[in-house]
Amino acid sequence: MSREHWVVIGNGPAGNAAAVTLRKFVTDARITLIGEENIPEYRCNLLPDFIAGALREEDLFCTPIQRFREMDIKLRLGQKVTDVAFERGELKLAHNEVVRFTGMIIACGSTPSIPERLGMFRDLMLPLKTLGDAKRWIEKLARVDSVFVAGGDLTSLCFTRALLALRKRVMFMLCPDSFWPIPLSSEVRRSCSARLEERGVEVLDCAKIENLTRLSEDSVEVKTDAGSLVVGAVGAFFGLVPNVRFLARTGLDLERGILVDEYLRTCVENVYAAGDCAQVYHPGIRAYWVSIGCPNATEQGRIAAMNLMGGSLSLDVPQENIFEVDGIKVNTSWWMEL
Amino acid sequence: MPGVDVTVEVCGMAGDGTIAAGGMINDAMSHGGFSVLGFDSYPAEIRGFGRCVTRSRVGDREIRALDEATHVLISLNDEESKSRVPVLTRDCVVLFDSNPPVLVEEDRSLVAILDPETRLFPMPFGDLAAAAAGTQRGRNLVALGGFAAVCGADPELFREAIRAKFKAKSQSVLQANLKSFDAGYAYALEKFHDRLLTMFASADLPKGPEKVMLSGNMAIGKAALDAGLKLYFGYPITPATPIMEYLARELPKRGGAVVQMEDEISSIGAVLGASYAGKRAMTATSGPGFALMTELITHGVMAEIPAVILNAQRGGPSTGLPTKTEQSDLHAAVFGGPGDSYRIVIAPTNVTECYYYTVKSFQLAEKYQTPVIVLTDFYLDNRVENVPMPEAREEDVRDGNIYPNVSAGEPYKRYLRTESGISPRSIPGQAGLQFTATGLEHTERGKPDYSARNHMEMSAKRFRKIQGALADLPEPEEYAPDGPLSVGVIGWGSTFGSALEAVLAARERGLRVGALKITSLYPYHEAAIRKFTSRCEEVLIPELNYSGQLISLIGRLCRKEAIPLNLATGEPFPPSLIRKKIEELAEAGAQ
Repeated sequence: MSREHWVVIGNGPAGNAAAVTLRKFVTDARITLIGEENIPEYRCNLLPDFIAGALREEDLFCTPIQRFREMDIKLRLGQKVTDVAFERGELKLAHNEVVRFTGMIIACGSTPSIPERLGMFRDLMLPLKTLGDAKRWIEKLARVDSVFVAGGDLTSLCFTRALLALRKRVMFMLCPDSFWPIPLSSEVRRSCSARLEERGVEVLDCAKIENLTRLSEDSVEVKTDAGSLVVGAVGAFFGLVPNVRFLARTGLDLERGILVDEYLRTCVENVYAAGDCAQVYHPGIRAYWVSIGCPNATEQGRIAAMNLMGGSLSLDVPQENIFEVDGIKVNTSWWMEL
Repeated sequence: MPGVDVTVEVCGMAGDGTIAAGGMINDAMSHGGFSVLGFDSYPAEIRGFGRCVTRSRVGDREIRALDEATHVLISLNDEESKSRVPVLTRDCVVLFDSNPPVLVEEDRSLVAILDPETRLFPMPFGDLAAAAAGTQRGRNLVALGGFAAVCGADPELFREAIRAKFKAKSQSVLQANLKSFDAGYAYALEKFHDRLLTMFASADLPKGPEKVMLSGNMAIGKAALDAGLKLYFGYPITPATPIMEYLARELPKRGGAVVQMEDEISSIGAVLGASYAGKRAMTATSGPGFALMTELITHGVMAEIPAVILNAQRGGPSTGLPTKTEQSDLHAAVFGGPGDSYRIVIAPTNVTECYYYTVKSFQLAEKYQTPVIVLTDFYLDNRVENVPMPEAREEDVRDGNIYPNVSAGEPYKRYLRTESGISPRSIPGQAGLQFTATGLEHTERGKPDYSARNHMEMSAKRFRKIQGALADLPEPEEYAPDGPLSVGVIGWGSTFGSALEAVLAARERGLRVGALKITSLYPYHEAAIRKFTSRCEEVLIPELNYSGQLISLIGRLCRKEAIPLNLATGEPFPPSLIRKKIEELAEAGAQ
């Protein structure tokens, strides 16, 4: 009998939890964890603290690589899956390598979204999703005093807190996109603005960016629907989109993310999805919802792994308005530690 | 600030341009002022298949040996490069082709077996070369461009190396290669902009004389030319062939000639003939060829004819491992052949010594009228080092012959028994002298004589003569602090560099250890060796052979049994292996 080869795509909290859970219960299967970044799993929710100088880089990392060696989990970092042929049990990596598998957990996370109309200004805006992004922010903030933040999601709020700790001038534009899937109601806008202003943030009375112009290496003119201003840097926090483009023609059911049932099963046998990239069916509301946050991702990774090994665990029903920051309940399209 | 000490490997299939790429790394980094030691490993077959690997150790201080750990791997063929994984450091930089022409199965993939801490830099080598120059042939140049960008090496150094490499080619070939390099450089700068390294930026490069890249074989060839070689006779054999190729190009320009003979027996025969006639002549071979020469070498001993014979050792016995290194011909060099056929055997330990010892060998052969065997090995012959260009002094190339005093009036005796054992030598054509040369035992006048007394006396003369050569042979060199040593390491040939690196590393860890370099293997300086071993608690002798050939030659000079450390892997001796053994012995001695 051939040995099982379970592949986990994604080196975030869901992927790591899945791989570790698989190994915990099955010792003789091959387990491969493929991550696009060149570095081991880190706590991306702590990146704002890293930018603020409250944490060292080494404090961000979760599990030492040695631990994976000990657990006999093959960690393949800096490698990108570009295609999957589920019917043949094969995936293809960007460098034209074919890896065969008998089961898969997709936990490929999400990537910062830039609205299409702002795509041409991509180079003038900095997101904050990866350690690389954080390092670019640290480099930039050493040279600039003011930052325009377009956002409203949890990351942008935590990042703003870091900027304030660094005594930077922050101009904030609340973006409806950042609050997906909840509409940015006037009530939420009002309470968010009030809280931000209390902290010294200038909340701008505008709703969209119309144009960005680079004036110099560290100076950008931002033209909004309410006027223009010049800032040192522009932060883009328009929410996240699941990294599922590579699965587009593979036969998986996709919408915004990978559609899975409450057991995190996809439409393909022995293939599960967990974390930011999964849209989980909610039997109570008879609709799909998107899970966010490190703890949720970790739990989903664990459940997906248990079910791949033959279990039948279902995901708990999510609460409405999960997150609360500084007393404000925020619906967000990203993560946080609860 | 930590210094620079980086080992870079290029690995590919024969035909991938692997050796060329490695050579350009050596040239570029040498031109940048770094110390460089490079070594290529390639298949015994001519072309078309088999693994090629170049290793270059680049540093900002003197480099004496290859390090076994590799910090940067440039993979031109992933399947072949898999064999290199065991020597890669965990955080090794790996540049590899991200778009090979066919899909690679996981079990044939290099990336699949790399440690997760490996820093991967995928680049579409072939695509970039094709886009830049219209052909994928420059994919090795693309890889070099990526290496320069990723590791922080000055690209202009590489462009200069490329210009030098392709200077004899057409302008379009040169431009295609430069474009391929630039394409790789630009791609890596942009693609990996947030991960670029500064491996060579911290270099504190010492100022010194201008250096050139020389291989052991090149140094030997140049030495022979500078020493006034007139005739080279040889038969091609790895790893000695490059000497013949070099001389075939250069010797005719100086009025000499290279003759490819039908085999090694005729080669040594022709060398003896030319030398008998008074011309400087040499041959170079390897183990199997040296074995064929044995009988005529002893003829040179008996007839007292000068000859310079270079034995570039490779893995043996017999055809053995043609492109692998070994130090297993020592016994053959010293003892090979019938009778008491003493001859001089010297063994350089680095490229510079390859030059000076080859120059010296001609004078020694003339003065002592004997075959002189210069013993090198594949690793020493094929490795390149950047060294100040060696130049022989006038006195080093001067005629070494001791001619008869023709005005003395006494009848000339070609094999006169003197106190030194050296008989003044006649050259055919000198008026009033005889020119006897015989392989039979003979009298002073060269007439056959098999009597017991004559054979005893002539054997003693020849023995005395060779022992007297010690006065002209380099003394062993000590690299040790004064006083007692817990461990003394004796090294010879290419292994000595590894031994010295190991000793210096052990000393940095506080151990009281030293090294002794022996280059005169026969005759050898007993007193100097005893002086060193007498202050060593333990004597360690690392050698690239299975049986310990040096230890059986000089082991008796140690006050207690010397400890062998033998490798017959075909690979250069890793310094770390010697260092570990030193530490083990020092620790055992301390308890």
